[in-house]
Amino acid sequence: MASLLRQHRLWFAMAVLAAVVGPWMLSNEFYLKIIFSAGVYYLAAAGLNVLVGWSGQKSLGHAGLFAVGAYTAALLTAQAGWNPWLALIAAAVVSAVFGVAIALPSLRVKGPSLAMVTIGFGIVVEKVVTEWQVFGGQAGIYGVLPPTVGGKMLGIREWAWLVLAIGLATHLLLRTLLRGKFGRALQAVQAAEVAAESVGVNVYRMKVLAFVVSAVTCGVAGALVAQQNQYINSDFISFNLSIFLLLIVLFGGPSVMGPAVGAVVLTLMDAFLARWPGLQHFSYGALLLFALYAMPQGLAGALRALGTRLWPGLHRPEALPAAEGDWQPRYPAARDANDVMLRATGVHKAYGGVVPTNDVNLELRAGHVHALIGPNGAGKTTLLNILSGIVAPDRGRIEFAGADITRCGASEVCQRGMGRTFQNLKLFPHMSVLDNVLVGLHPHLAVGFWASLAGWRSARVEEHDAREQAVCLLRFVGLTERAHDLAGSLPYGLQRRLELTRALATQPRLLLLDEPAAGLNPQETEALTALIRRIATSGITVLLIEHHMDLVMAVSDHVVVLDHGVKIAEGSPADVQRNTLVIKAYLGVDDDEDEDDGTSMPALAGAPAC
Amino acid sequence: MTNLLQALMSGLALGGIYALVALGFSITHTTTRTLNFGQGEFLVGGAFVGVATLLLLAGKGPVGVLSAADVSLWRYSGALVASVVVLGVLGALMYFIAVRPFFGMTGMAWVMSTIGFGIILQNSALAIWGAGSVAMPSPLGEGVIRVFGAGIRPQEILVLATTAVVMLALDHVLRRTRIGKAVRAVAANPQAAALMGINVGAIVVLAFVTSSGLAGMAGLLIAPITTASVFMGLTIALKAFSSAIVGGLTNPRGCIAGGFLLGVIEALVGLWRAELREITIFVLIIAVLVIKPEGLFGQKPFEKV
Repeated sequence: MASLLRQHRLWFAMAVLAAVVGPWMLSNEFYLKIIFSAGVYYLAAAGLNVLVGWSGQKSLGHAGLFAVGAYTAALLTAQAGWNPWLALIAAAVVSAVFGVAIALPSLRVKGPSLAMVTIGFGIVVEKVVTEWQVFGGQAGIYGVLPPTVGGKMLGIREWAWLVLAIGLATHLLLRTLLRGKFGRALQAVQAAEVAAESVGVNVYRMKVLAFVVSAVTCGVAGALVAQQNQYINSDFISFNLSIFLLLIVLFGGPSVMGPAVGAVVLTLMDAFLARWPGLQHFSYGALLLFALYAMPQGLAGALRALGTRLWPGLHRPEALPAAEGDWQPRYPAARDANDVMLRATGVHKAYGGVVPTNDVNLELRAGHVHALIGPNGAGKTTLLNILSGIVAPDRGRIEFAGADITRCGASEVCQRGMGRTFQNLKLFPHMSVLDNVLVGLHPHLAVGFWASLAGWRSARVEEHDAREQAVCLLRFVGLTERAHDLAGSLPYGLQRRLELTRALATQPRLLLLDEPAAGLNPQETEALTALIRRIATSGITVLLIEHHMDLVMAVSDHVVVLDHGVKIAEGSPADVQRNTLVIKAYLGVDDDEDEDDGTSMPALAGAPAC
Repeated sequence: MTNLLQALMSGLALGGIYALVALGFSITHTTTRTLNFGQGEFLVGGAFVGVATLLLLAGKGPVGVLSAADVSLWRYSGALVASVVVLGVLGALMYFIAVRPFFGMTGMAWVMSTIGFGIILQNSALAIWGAGSVAMPSPLGEGVIRVFGAGIRPQEILVLATTAVVMLALDHVLRRTRIGKAVRAVAANPQAAALMGINVGAIVVLAFVTSSGLAGMAGLLIAPITTASVFMGLTIALKAFSSAIVGGLTNPRGCIAGGFLLGVIEALVGLWRAELREITIFVLIIAVLVIKPEGLFGQKPFEKV
């Protein structure tokens, strides 16, 4: 890690040097203006990349935010007589407020509809500044004041320096932010929202955060343009600008460097081909059309791959910290105390006429392993979804670890100590195994946004501790060798184990497993059985849904049977095996019927009681 | 009152154009989860292929000025067919170059590539026909038909009649024919459709051909009202996209309803204060989506956890 840090510092020092010397060497105003433009576009795109590339939210209306920043700075300096520096800061703040405003619908609106909301926002802003006299209409606002240094107005060279300085600072801040817990949480939101919620990431808050970051950088970019031109009108703000910003992000690629590379190349192309407008547009179109064939990870990704090929040591994954000690659950329960960990009373959920959960009462004892079984369609997964806060029950009450969690969302339920896995695997496939586990640790990382952005010591220490914990946990489940592999590249059995590991990382008091053995072969099932036993012995309460009766009988202390949303039996595994209602539910009542729904009774009857 | 009727009529005509393009968005989105972000440029293409066809049919070169005598109803129909065919072929080309290579990739690579294709298309038109707009006489003449005192342009009636016929035909094909059933099956689940022996690849190409053909037709239909211009596409495509989203991208009938709704609202607001048209429309759209994210007639997506 230290060498990697040194390497980055070296690159950064070189970039600073180039930023200082570059504008100083250039005397041609045209080139300086290009540097300024590239810097401004980079700024706007850098934030947009956090939104589009990291959190996966589409926006086609960032010209609107650009306008908010530009007009705030223009009105405050030209008409309210503010200090230009203060106006620049105010532009950032006002843009942030607008960022929150367009983030609000993103909780409900997804995909193309969210793109539509952002398009609408951009166009409304464009039309408002065109039509309303406060904003000068088509004529625009003259007399926008640029910042001064020592009473002197900035020349184009100083502007280039200023923008490069802001750009480099932004790059450094965003890089720190995205390599920490927020970057991982954003990626998790993009990959699978439900899974992110289930490991304690507040998806909505992350989306708002991404929108605000993008709004601030875009607003500052707008303010800088207004101040540099000392003029702004509605021609600056168009749908094409929104598209151009998005193209920079897509063309550059979703890495931290992407927007920088994209902004530089696209601005240069725009500027140098401007002499031949026909050629300019054709080559522009062709570039967009073919760029991502050749470079699926964007230009920055392609450059990175090239660098790695030329200098194989360039991008080594960070070495794992040498963590000693065994992984220990943070809240082990005393098995003998017989405390109630979770109590569900009269929980009911209906989808139209289908009632997957019909007035179910459930009591889970601390430190015990509970199994929830029942034929297909019995409502097991729905019950699990209700308990873990993904589905809200119509009525009923759920108490967990002494608190009422009936109305809590999934991320809050997780933060209170309930971890879960999913029947249909929900990993973050494009993140490494280690990062998947680190996302699981998210609710236990206390460091806030600002510390994470600035890379304070507290953030670095906590990050290091988190990696150590993750390594211990990976050792506990036997995935250490796979730490740097992409989660999606693991074989199926290991993916299941990784999902369980991610749930363990959230430090659950209660672990909900939804068919953990589905699709596993006998050896893998055996290993899983052993792992669940170890988890239980370490003091974590478990509730598992499973069709493998061998597994159920081998690990559970207590079995609950659901059928058609109703709890038909519960008790020790041996009791349940003898229960006539259960036998009826699985095999039917008619003696002549030998229907088999895949969960055969012989396995149940033949299984050893634990 | 007469103003209202007049606005309603031109709103419906405009809405018909939106509906055609929106329908195209819906067809590619349901079958491939992608949209042609360069659709506006396909409208431009349609308009200019129409211009060229009309000129050629009048015995002139493909670039020039159209006079009223050059545009008769049968020539215009021929031009419509030519626009649909040429743009349909271009749509297939775009699918193979700009969409198919990016299937299965995360992110929005296809957004970039379809925009790129659109830019090339637009600039080809620019290189051939130039930046000026080309006035296109309506095949039904420029006179005004009086209905209850309201002046209605014959082209508006032509637009409305054509779009109605096309949409009824498409609706019939989608719901009542074998090929429509195949399209709906692919929309519901491409893997399962393939396993049932449906040629998914062909259906997807067909979707892009249809979508682009519709855009081309829309471009030529609106040209006599707005004049043909290389820059006419973006606004119309944007409003058509809005119509599709508001009506419900997953529901073709919803998209059609959304198109007409948007056209009429636009015309009625324009009657009141022309400069507030866009603001009103897009504020309304945002409000609708916040209340009903799946659109007015769309289906709520169901995600099994």
